[in-house]
Amino acid sequence: MPAILEVDNLIKKFGDHLAVKGVSFSVEEGEVFGLLGPNGAGKTTTISMLTGVLEPTDGTAHIGGYDIRTDLDAVKKINGLVPQDLALYPTLSARANLNFFGQIYGLRGKDLKERVEDVLRIVSLTDRANEAVEKYSGGMKRRVNIAAGLIHNPRLLFLDEPTVGVDPQSRNHIFESVLRLNRERGMSIIYTSHYMEEVELLCNRAAVIDQGEIIALDTIKNLIAMLGGGVIKVGVPKVDDTLLTQMSALPAVKEATLMPQPIAPPPVAGESIEQKEGKPLTATPVVKVVAENSQEAIINVINFLSQRDLQLTSLKILEPNLESVFLHLTGKKLRE
Amino acid sequence: MKALSIAYKDLQIFFKDRGSVIVLVLLPLLFVVVMSGALGSIGQSQEKDSRTSLPAVNLDNGAMAQALLDGIDKAGGVRVEPYTETDAATALDEASVPFVLTIPQGFSADVEAGRPTALHFVVHQDADRTKAEAVRLVIEGVTRDLSLQIQLLAALEQMGQMQAGSPEAAEAFSVERMQAQATSQFKSASLQPLVDVVQKVPEQEAEREENEGLTLADVAVPGVAVLFVFMTAQNTARSIFDEKEVGSFRRLLAAPMSKAALLIGKMLPNFITGLVQLVVIFAFGIFGLKALGLTPITMGKSPLAVVLVSVLLSICSSAFGILLAALARTPNQIGGLSSLLLWLMGLLGGAFVPLFLLERFLGPVPKIVPHYWANHALTNLMVRGLGLADVTLDLLVLLGFTVVFFAIGLWRFDFD
Repeated sequence: MPAILEVDNLIKKFGDHLAVKGVSFSVEEGEVFGLLGPNGAGKTTTISMLTGVLEPTDGTAHIGGYDIRTDLDAVKKINGLVPQDLALYPTLSARANLNFFGQIYGLRGKDLKERVEDVLRIVSLTDRANEAVEKYSGGMKRRVNIAAGLIHNPRLLFLDEPTVGVDPQSRNHIFESVLRLNRERGMSIIYTSHYMEEVELLCNRAAVIDQGEIIALDTIKNLIAMLGGGVIKVGVPKVDDTLLTQMSALPAVKEATLMPQPIAPPPVAGESIEQKEGKPLTATPVVKVVAENSQEAIINVINFLSQRDLQLTSLKILEPNLESVFLHLTGKKLRE
Repeated sequence: MKALSIAYKDLQIFFKDRGSVIVLVLLPLLFVVVMSGALGSIGQSQEKDSRTSLPAVNLDNGAMAQALLDGIDKAGGVRVEPYTETDAATALDEASVPFVLTIPQGFSADVEAGRPTALHFVVHQDADRTKAEAVRLVIEGVTRDLSLQIQLLAALEQMGQMQAGSPEAAEAFSVERMQAQATSQFKSASLQPLVDVVQKVPEQEAEREENEGLTLADVAVPGVAVLFVFMTAQNTARSIFDEKEVGSFRRLLAAPMSKAALLIGKMLPNFITGLVQLVVIFAFGIFGLKALGLTPITMGKSPLAVVLVSVLLSICSSAFGILLAALARTPNQIGGLSSLLLWLMGLLGGAFVPLFLLERFLGPVPKIVPHYWANHALTNLMVRGLGLADVTLDLLVLLGFTVVFFAIGLWRFDFD
C-alpha cells in the first residue's frame, strides 16, 4: 500500500518550549494508525501541523503526495479533522452545522444535501438532525463533531481524542463508525487517544509519543510483545548490580532493572540535615522484571530471592498491553 | 463565497440571540428619542413664548431707545430680549440667536435733536431669512412711526415757537398751512427717515465654526447612530473568541480557505448589522421623531453621500472588531476593552454632547477618534445639507482609520 502520510522530522516550538521534537512516521493508505500519549505529549500539536492549523517550525510532511508547507490547500482537501473540542455552533441544528462546514469545503446544492444526509446516517442522527446541538447529549454532540469532519468525504481523517467525556453506548457507536469508515470506504484514519484499549481495538499500528518525541512505533502486536509475557515489579530490601545480573539470567526472565528511586522530600522546617539523614531517604527499591512468561518468571524470582534470604516487600504483575508498554517505556501512566 | 458562508452562519447565530438584537436595534432608538427630546428641550428653552425673540443691545439707555424697544415689543409677533453687547456677540457667533438689534450710544439725543441716526440689525448668515426679514420690517415700522412722531412734534413745536414769537403772523399758520406742513413731514419721514435700520450679514470667515446654525437636537441622530454602529465591533471580537473557545476556529483553519477569507467572513456580519442599524436609526430619525413630535432629520441633499459614509462607517467598525479580537485574550478583556474604548470613543465622537460643544471644551481632541469623522460627515450631509465634496476629508480620514485598525488587527491576530 502507498503511504498517504509521510512525516519527516516535524518540529514545533512555542517560544523556548519545544513541543514536538522532530517526529517522523508514515501511514499507509487505508490504515488506522494510533497516536498514543498522555495529555501534553504533543499529539494535538502534531495533528495541528499536519492539518494546517499550525505552521511547523521545521521539518515537513507529505499528505497524498502534497507537501504541507507548499501545497497546503491541496492537503486540506484530503484531510478531515475531528478536533478534541466540540467544535460546533450549539445554537444551530446539527443539519445547519453540517451545511455550514460542507460549504466551507466548497460543497453546494445537491452534493451538499447528499453529503449531509450521508454523514447524518453514518452517525445515526438523521431523526434528530433539525434539533439545536445544545439540546443533544454529550455522546450525540461527539457524533455530530465526527460528522462535521466527514462532510467532504476526506481520504485521511484525523480523530483527536474523539471519545473524551462520552458514555459507553456512544463510545461503542463511535468505534463502529470508525471501523465502518475504514473497512467500507477505505478511509485512512489517524486516531489519537490516551485510552490504550481504544487504540488496541481500532488501530493496526501505533506510535507512542511522550514529551514531543516518538519513543516507540510498531504494530500493536509488536508493541505489546515488547513486554513479552508481561512485567513483574518486585520490591526487595536491597539491590546491587550482581543481584540484577543474576535475576536477568533466570529462566523465563528477559530483563531485570532497578526502577528509578523516588527523590527524597526536602527537610521539614526546623529539622536538621542529620535528623533527616537518620530516616530512610527513599522507599524500598523495586526491581522491574520483563518476563517471557509471567507465571514461570514469578516462581523463579521468588525462589531466587528466598534462596538469598531476601524478603519480598512488594509484588505487582502487569499484564502485557499497551498501558503496560507505555509504563514500561516512560515509567509513568498514560493518564498521569 | 466561503466568507459569505461564515457571515451567513454568524448572522443565523446572532439573530437567534434576541437579547443582542434588542440591544443593537431598539437601544439606539431609545437613545435617539431621549437625546432628541432632551437636547431639543435645551435648544427650545428660550422660545417658550410663541413670539419671535429679538435680542436687543441697548447702548443708549435713553428715553427714545426705550420707547423704540417698547414699541417693537408691543407691535406683536416680536419679543424683545435685552442682551449685553458681549453676550449678543457670543450668541450670534454660536448661532444660538439668529439676529441682534443694536441701538447705538447717543440714539436718544440724536432723535430728540432731529439728527438722522441708524439702528444696526445684524443677521447670522445661516438664520432663517424670512423670519429675519419679518423682524426687520417690524423694527422699520416702529422706527418709522417713531421718526414721524418725532419729526411732527418737532415741526409743530417749531411752528408754535414761531407763532409765539410773532402773534401778528397768526394767519400764517392757517389750517391749510398746518396740513401742508404735516403732509410734507410725512413725505420727508418716508423718504428720509430720521432713524434708519442698517441690516448687516457678516461675511463668511475663513475659519468659521461649522457648527453654527445647528440645534442640539439636530445632532442627536448622527451621534447615536455612529456610537451604536461601532458598538457592533464587540460582536465581531466576541464571535471570534467564541469560535476559538469551542474549537471551531481550529476547524475553520483546517479547511481549504485563506486566513483573509476567514477574517472577512467574521467581519461581514458586523458590516451588515451596522448597515441595518443605520437604516433603522435613520428611518426612525426621519419618520419616528416626526411622529413623536420631535425634530426629525432628513437625508439631506446628497443621500448617495449618506450611503457612502454609512458603508465606510460600517467597514471601519468591522475592522475595529478585528482589532479588538486581536488585542483581547479573554471574554472579560473583550467586555472591558469594548466598554472602555467604545463608550469613550463615542463620547469623544459626539454621541452624547454635540461636536461643536465638545470642541469648545476639548479643542481638537475629539478628532483622534473615527466616531468624530463619521459623525461630522453625517451631520454635514443630513443636518447642514452639504454635499459629497464637503465630506471628502471625513471619508478619507475614516478610510485611514479602517486601514490602520485592520492592519494592526491582522498583525496582532493570534491564529494559533
